[in-house]
Amino acid sequence: MSTSTTTQPAVKMVTLTINDQSVTVPKGTTVLQAALGAGIHIPTFCWHPKLKSVGACRICYVEIEKMPKLQVSCATEATDGMVVKTESDIVKRGRKAVLEFILANHPLDCPTCDKGGECDLQNLTFAHGLDDSRFDFLKRRHIVPGVPSTFDDLRIGPEIMLNRNRCILCYKCVRSNKEAFGEYDIGAFERGNAMEINAAPGEQVANPFSGNLVEICPVGALTNSDWRYKIRVWLTQTTPSIDIFNSSGSNILFYKEDHKNRIFRTISRRNDEIDDGWITDVARYGYQLVHSPDRLQKPLMKKGSKQVPVEWEEAVAFVARRLAEIDDTKGCVCIGGLASPTLDLDSLHSFSKFMRKVIGTNNLDFRIDYRSLPEKPDSAFSTLSSQPFTIAEIDTSDVIFVFGSDLVKEHPNEYLRIRKARNFGRPLVYSVNSFNVKSADVADREFIYAPGTEEVFINGLCLAAIEENPGLSGADGLKRKISPADLNSAAKTCGVSAEDLKALARTLINGKKISFIVGDQVSLSRDREVIAAALCNLNRLVGITSRGQMAALARYADSIGAEKLGLIPNPHPDVKRALTDLWGGFPEMAGYHTEGMFSQMLKGELDAMVILGANPVAMYPDHEAVAETFEKLDFLVVADLFETETTAMADVVLPLASWTEFAGRYVNLEGRIQKAERAIKPLYESKPAYAILADIAAAARKPLFSSAREREEEIEKVLACTTVRPWPGDYLDVRPPAIDKDPAYPIMLIIGDDPHHRCYVTEKAASLVKFCSDAYIELSPELAEKFKVEDGDAVRVESKYGKLMAPVKVSRVLEGDVVFLPRNFSVTRANSLVSRKARIDWVRINKVSG
Amino acid sequence: MKEILKALINVFLKMPQGFVVTLKHVFKKPVTLDYPREKKPMAPRYRGRHYLERYEDGTERCVCCGLCAAACPADAIYMEPEETPNGERKAKVYEINLLRCIFCGFCEEACPEEAIFLGQEYEFSDFNRDSFIWRKEDMLVPHPRKDNPFKRIIRRVRRVYGVPDAAR
Repeated sequence: MSTSTTTQPAVKMVTLTINDQSVTVPKGTTVLQAALGAGIHIPTFCWHPKLKSVGACRICYVEIEKMPKLQVSCATEATDGMVVKTESDIVKRGRKAVLEFILANHPLDCPTCDKGGECDLQNLTFAHGLDDSRFDFLKRRHIVPGVPSTFDDLRIGPEIMLNRNRCILCYKCVRSNKEAFGEYDIGAFERGNAMEINAAPGEQVANPFSGNLVEICPVGALTNSDWRYKIRVWLTQTTPSIDIFNSSGSNILFYKEDHKNRIFRTISRRNDEIDDGWITDVARYGYQLVHSPDRLQKPLMKKGSKQVPVEWEEAVAFVARRLAEIDDTKGCVCIGGLASPTLDLDSLHSFSKFMRKVIGTNNLDFRIDYRSLPEKPDSAFSTLSSQPFTIAEIDTSDVIFVFGSDLVKEHPNEYLRIRKARNFGRPLVYSVNSFNVKSADVADREFIYAPGTEEVFINGLCLAAIEENPGLSGADGLKRKISPADLNSAAKTCGVSAEDLKALARTLINGKKISFIVGDQVSLSRDREVIAAALCNLNRLVGITSRGQMAALARYADSIGAEKLGLIPNPHPDVKRALTDLWGGFPEMAGYHTEGMFSQMLKGELDAMVILGANPVAMYPDHEAVAETFEKLDFLVVADLFETETTAMADVVLPLASWTEFAGRYVNLEGRIQKAERAIKPLYESKPAYAILADIAAAARKPLFSSAREREEEIEKVLACTTVRPWPGDYLDVRPPAIDKDPAYPIMLIIGDDPHHRCYVTEKAASLVKFCSDAYIELSPELAEKFKVEDGDAVRVESKYGKLMAPVKVSRVLEGDVVFLPRNFSVTRANSLVSRKARIDWVRINKVSG
Repeated sequence: MKEILKALINVFLKMPQGFVVTLKHVFKKPVTLDYPREKKPMAPRYRGRHYLERYEDGTERCVCCGLCAAACPADAIYMEPEETPNGERKAKVYEINLLRCIFCGFCEEACPEEAIFLGQEYEFSDFNRDSFIWRKEDMLVPHPRKDNPFKRIIRRVRRVYGVPDAAR
């Protein structure tokens, strides 16, 4: 974190005087930033700390000595000896004049404007403006044709309303969309007095970051429909919280109303270390699922063949009794547990203690969507995923390497970081994937390797590095362990030319600071151990982590927390020791991970499951098989927010409180512990997971913790252990497994997240459903031409394991025989097409006629 | 002796003087009113019950901006906005708790749409507390219109912006 200041060469400093105060800033700083740094406030409209200055609004006027006219401070560079005045009479007169011009066309509709009460223009007019206007002519009005309304509101996106009368043309929305997000769906059209902001012709503003445009609008020109006409901002209270849908843990702020016990909106809480003030739409609108009418209201218990609502006491006593019965008759080996990695630390640790201490089993896991899990605890992939990674380090990296990741869909905050690094510096960015991705638009070059040749590509990179620099240590030892062992055949297999591999290897060798991001194409691959081994070899050969960072990034809000708390059968030895010390014992048995538990269930060896906030039936690959597996259980207890496919099979369903309803801590992918405060009281009869577990444990007469304090202290002690696993001491064997391909299924299927849908829960957020309500088949234009389909046509997708039907969306980025299918939708289940055994999911598609 | 004389003067001179005053008033017009059969006209600026105004085409003036509720020192006003089918803003719920209201008239001063004003009526007695929470429908009734000097600026801006005041 501090390296950014230490590694860079010393910057020349300049000293200037602002309002009789001497300020020293690095050369290149604007007067505005110098003043803000010194605590002097200068009003702004068009300036944003994370965007380049344009000087469009001119409200940030300052007086600079020896300059004949007022200067816009956001676009004037601070120089040595400058004397600046920000509050002199001439500056105030200038501001007044600017405001008068802005208000010449800005309507006085503050009573109906949702920005009223938090509007920059309103505040500045109140502070500096005239109380009357001298422009005694009609104001410019952009009338929306065909709408019998005096309000002139225009819907330009699923969630965004635009009122062009109110717009002061600061271009902040257009600039941030282009600069920070790389999207072009909003723009400025016409010129002069007729100029207006509008959506690009024929398009909707529906990019994954569109909510930010509303947030940074200094007036009420852009408003979003979730906050529209709901409540006045001065009636709300704010609560700091954390985004739990993305692993980087963006900082957010809830606006809620205590008497109504309701959250009304989310805005970002800028944290330069993590999110830079930009949050995704999922983080912005995800809170709506809390108020979904589908929330579970009371505990449900299966009586006969139906689930009926019961009181908490009855449900808890029943769960405790049944678990004790199964423990007595069949042993604790027959009980397993799954917890969602989006739960907070308290719940996860309570779960771990509940399973291990109260029940005494070691069958527990938090990995709910991985295809196959490492058999051994100290595998290459665990090493790779446990490496430290700092988001802010991306800013100062000179080589950024994204391997096997569609960043916009997987790690949106990191995508924006890379974009920012490109805007304000000159890093070399490479995106390497088996298919074309949207996030490659930040890359200098995009490389596409043949499907299922990740490890061959990395081997090729190692071999290219050896050719580039034969002096690298242990080159011979490496060549013996990998196959193919010569560069040309590796290049031929992976489909990236030897020259390109050499150029890539050269940048990796010469890079001064490297950020190497490994994504889902590796994490979710069947052969991820092999790929991870190849990456370990690459790191050992080239020494990436000695000059930067390299990690397989976590995918869920608290994945790292769950791993640090030891929620896997084989936790890190230090964690295991700490837990043994705390509890005075640790289950002797080896324990099964998710996949192991499922196969035990299928064999009938595992009879009871405790599931917290997870929906494996809908999320785990091979839908049919998993559903069948769960039917074999004797006793299933599920705690969740909603009724899901998994709760439908449960004997007891317990209503779980969402992350807004209690204070919880989450560990983001960097290992940073962040706190989400309680925004509202738990709705209906829901309870946080830790409270549910405490109740069940108390009903079983084995209390979990004597106090909340004790729980916190235990968590502190466990988190104090480091879980970073050391890199292997030698080169690892990398032998690419054979790729099975059936000519009947020629098309590669990519399963991933839609940018507006996370886990299975965001389907309940009304605003997010407007962006994406169900799965679609995104296919390349070539395939669309081949099958003669257009946007919206239905196609049938068939794999060896299942088939489904979905509407087509012709992609702007995909090329070749590739289709993308978003997962975790309740109607169209992507996991029914997928097998746990195959490395690549091959499918065939046909058009559904009629 | 002296005391007896004083008492005689009181009885025969001072007391009849008092009776004369009383007797005079018997023939005068009384200052009291025969309330509730008779009612006193209130001062022009008297602040009584609340009215909500409509435009001439029948639409409500209130846009539910919340300024009256913000200005209200007694916290007597509660409102919830909603969106009309053509995208305009209006009140879904507008309630005034007359038990809390102190009839200060700040809501009337704050209202940018000239939608609310306080009329002349002052009779609010009832048998249960709930009936003192007045809903939108209770206040959207025909009424004598009052001119308000605070609204001149708003009217001028509305003219500049091209929205005619009454006809919209």
